[in-house]
Amino acid sequence: MTLHLILNGMPVSCECGPSEPLLEVLHERLNVRSPRRGCDDSYCGACSVLLDGQLVHSCTVLAAAFDGSDVVTAEGLMKDGRLHPVQEAFLRHGATQCGYCTAGFLMAAVAVLNESRTPSPNEIANAMRGNICRCTGYQKIVHAIHDVARQGEGGDFA
Amino acid sequence: MTRVVGQPVIRSDAWRKVTGASYYTVDVTLPAMLVGKLLRSPYAHARIVHMDISRARQVPGVAAVVAGNGRASPWGGHIWDQPVLPADVVRYRGEPLVAVAAESEAAAEEALRLVEVVYEALPSVFDPEQAMEPGAPLLHPQMMEYWRNEAVCRPIPGTNAVNRTRFRVGSVTTGFSEAAAVVEATFTVPGIEHVTLEPTAAVAWWERDDRLTVWTSTQCPFVVRDQLAHVVGLPLHKVRVIVPDVGGGFGGKGNMRIEPYAALLSRECHRPVKMVHSRYEEFVGSTIGHPAKIRIKLGATRDGVLTAIQTTAFYDTGAYGDSGEMVSWQGGLGGAGPYRVPHVAIDSYAVYTNKVPAGAFRGMGWPQMLFAIESAIDMLSARLQIDPVEFRLKNLLENGDRFVTGEVLESVTLRECLLKAREAIDWDAPTPPNRGRGVALVMKSSVNNSTASAVVKIHEDTTVQLVIGAPEIGQGSHSAMAQIAAEILGVAYDAVEVTNPDTAFSPYDRGAISDRTTFHLGQAVYEAATQARQQLLAAAADWLEANPADLEICEGYVMVKGVPARTAPLAAVARRAYRVKGGPIIGEGRHLEEGIVPLDPLTGQSPKAVSHYKYGAQAVEVEVDRELGMVKVLRVVSVHDCGRAINPIQVSGQIEGAVVQGLGLALWEALQFEDGQVMNPSLMDYHVPMAPEIPEIVPILVECPHPHSPFGVKGIGEPGIIGVAPAVANAVSRAVGIRIFDLPLAPERVLRALQATQGRAR
Ligand code: FES
Ligand code: FES
Repeated sequence: MTLHLILNGMPVSCECGPSEPLLEVLHERLNVRSPRRGCDDSYCGACSVLLDGQLVHSCTVLAAAFDGSDVVTAEGLMKDGRLHPVQEAFLRHGATQCGYCTAGFLMAAVAVLNESRTPSPNEIANAMRGNICRCTGYQKIVHAIHDVARQGEGGDFA
Repeated sequence: MTRVVGQPVIRSDAWRKVTGASYYTVDVTLPAMLVGKLLRSPYAHARIVHMDISRARQVPGVAAVVAGNGRASPWGGHIWDQPVLPADVVRYRGEPLVAVAAESEAAAEEALRLVEVVYEALPSVFDPEQAMEPGAPLLHPQMMEYWRNEAVCRPIPGTNAVNRTRFRVGSVTTGFSEAAAVVEATFTVPGIEHVTLEPTAAVAWWERDDRLTVWTSTQCPFVVRDQLAHVVGLPLHKVRVIVPDVGGGFGGKGNMRIEPYAALLSRECHRPVKMVHSRYEEFVGSTIGHPAKIRIKLGATRDGVLTAIQTTAFYDTGAYGDSGEMVSWQGGLGGAGPYRVPHVAIDSYAVYTNKVPAGAFRGMGWPQMLFAIESAIDMLSARLQIDPVEFRLKNLLENGDRFVTGEVLESVTLRECLLKAREAIDWDAPTPPNRGRGVALVMKSSVNNSTASAVVKIHEDTTVQLVIGAPEIGQGSHSAMAQIAAEILGVAYDAVEVTNPDTAFSPYDRGAISDRTTFHLGQAVYEAATQARQQLLAAAADWLEANPADLEICEGYVMVKGVPARTAPLAAVARRAYRVKGGPIIGEGRHLEEGIVPLDPLTGQSPKAVSHYKYGAQAVEVEVDRELGMVKVLRVVSVHDCGRAINPIQVSGQIEGAVVQGLGLALWEALQFEDGQVMNPSLMDYHVPMAPEIPEIVPILVECPHPHSPFGVKGIGEPGIIGVAPAVANAVSRAVGIRIFDLPLAPERVLRALQATQGRAR
């Protein structure tokens, strides 16, 4: 079938088989690489994207069922050439090391900030329960997101 | 005063990582690229009686099938014991024995299904201590014929012990006779998986004129180059290893992994072949951290002065050495812990078993060893009714003390680290019931010999290219190296670009391992930048008609000291060097730690065993749920001497990440084996720490500059993982009075121990 998506604000379309995971469609057909494959089993969260505003693991979502949907990835977080406040905070706080998990955490961060403008560090950590980071120990990630929450600058970017 | 060094600059690769612009090996795509897959052994130990790959070759879309070791030499780290694809015997479940390259994954898998193999099962052995008993099945009867590096690999002939490292100081018989209290215990540490988020991945392209180019996710491009050249029989200049961004290493990517299979497949069809491990393959077919069994006997006088220690450690290295010899060698160095002990007997073994090979893992044998030692120290202090911190303060190593190698230690900061930890964890404050605090000391040796080199090129506009051979694996070394170069050259930090390694262009480096990058490569970068600076000043001196010694670089200008009017813009100086005077500015630096002497094989004595040691202390507070057996860590204080922090944010990032891996080892992580099979090969069944489980972590830096390193740096990548598990076990003991000897401190184990003490109480 032909799949239509609004990808990072732009209408796109591509061919898509009935059993193709969204992650594969993004990688192989749409050349979007920031959602990463870390497990393929819905345990690591490296492939997280926002699908119609919801945080999902794109490795286990069948793309064909979401024709016409809105997909946001880390590539779509910048606005007018400027980093999203969460991206800025990740830089400031040293919340990325190897970076393989980072796009997934950014999407989880945007999701939790969209849900509650002022999440506490505990709420943030809980919202990250579907994402593994093996490098940072999570503390700097939580601090970075909390920094954005405190300044109330999360915005409704995504 | 430094301008760039010591500043919390934003790491140079962060922008690409937060915008999705990073480029890992898994992203590498080439024209006509094939996908490669492996057939893995279902047997722990078996003879290959018959193998037929002819039907696999006929599957449409299959371009190459390789099997048997005929065209590839055995390889390894310090012992060449591993066939690329075994022709006669498989030694662990998961060992690759056939590789296929095809147009699609489905075709490759279909081909693998059609491979016929007839096995004859051989007796197998899974426990390292049993594997050393006489009559145990031998994994490598030909072990003594393999090439090996004698300095760190001393097998015991006729056994499965691929290495024994020994230390002997004084006489433990005398030492124990002087002791008023002696504790004896056996500790076990399970195997753990690195779980790098980016799995093992490589793309190999063997062109028709026998040039092999490999893109790979590795910590050590030059090691991979050397190993590949060795197994496929090409000279070094025909093998080119390129490292894109790397999604984590932790020791798991220090040797050749999947690269030789991709290379052998590409040799058959001269098309690029890409191979990426599934998560399952990461568990069953990459290397793991060593399971270990460690016996400790430790004695002290009534006043709590240590008199003797006897340590026997068995590191279960699985079917092949990989880096197990080095792990047991390094772990053996820690066999008396960071303590002054007059009588020492340490035997540290790496032993073959029929399990997935264990290799390097952050900490190199020290996390296991110090779990045992630091637990035993608390047992002994409890026996003597001495506060565990006081007990440690009485016995810890200080400047000028002799280590188990006999070498005199310098720049030792254990006391300072422990005092800071004690204060920050509020050691003396009362705790509510079921809560307790525990401490553990940290020590770690860096690699023994390690070669590093660097090139600094100054472009015509005075921006700088820093060319190094150590990959950025997340540890932040690219930006630390850029900070060092910028500092010396007098340019802005962001005027320095660090190039990802490419063995064709980068100068040699041993790799991103063993906390060595900042210490060893840092010295090479320091020297390269200093050379380039001298060339710049020489070019300017001629122009300004001044003596180079009278010049300084400041904010984009070269100026004559004290004469503000006589300046030349740096960019103009650099351009002039290209066109008029002296040629392009290129500085070179190299570093090889000198004076390192191999350990005496019988006593472990050496005037200098490794480049340097690192010191620290961990303190934790825990709460134990007596009903559920759950241990909750409430707070971790992690104090480390990094010598000098090049970038404080990166240093605390290394500590926090390592501490969380330490918590994983303490509480959750364990590969479960049954008959050599990994029973929990998924992220569902193998639990790595997750964000909601993480307590507050307080990293504290002690900065005692190393006398011989650039700006005084010491390594900081590994120490944070060491000492966390024993600090937790010690805290649990102080909270509820149970001693756990086996990691992890899982609820069942804690409950069982609680029930046992309650049984005794009744
Ligand atoms: S790749 Fe989707 S959760 Fe791991
Ligand atoms: S930064 Fe490496 S896994 Fe998170």
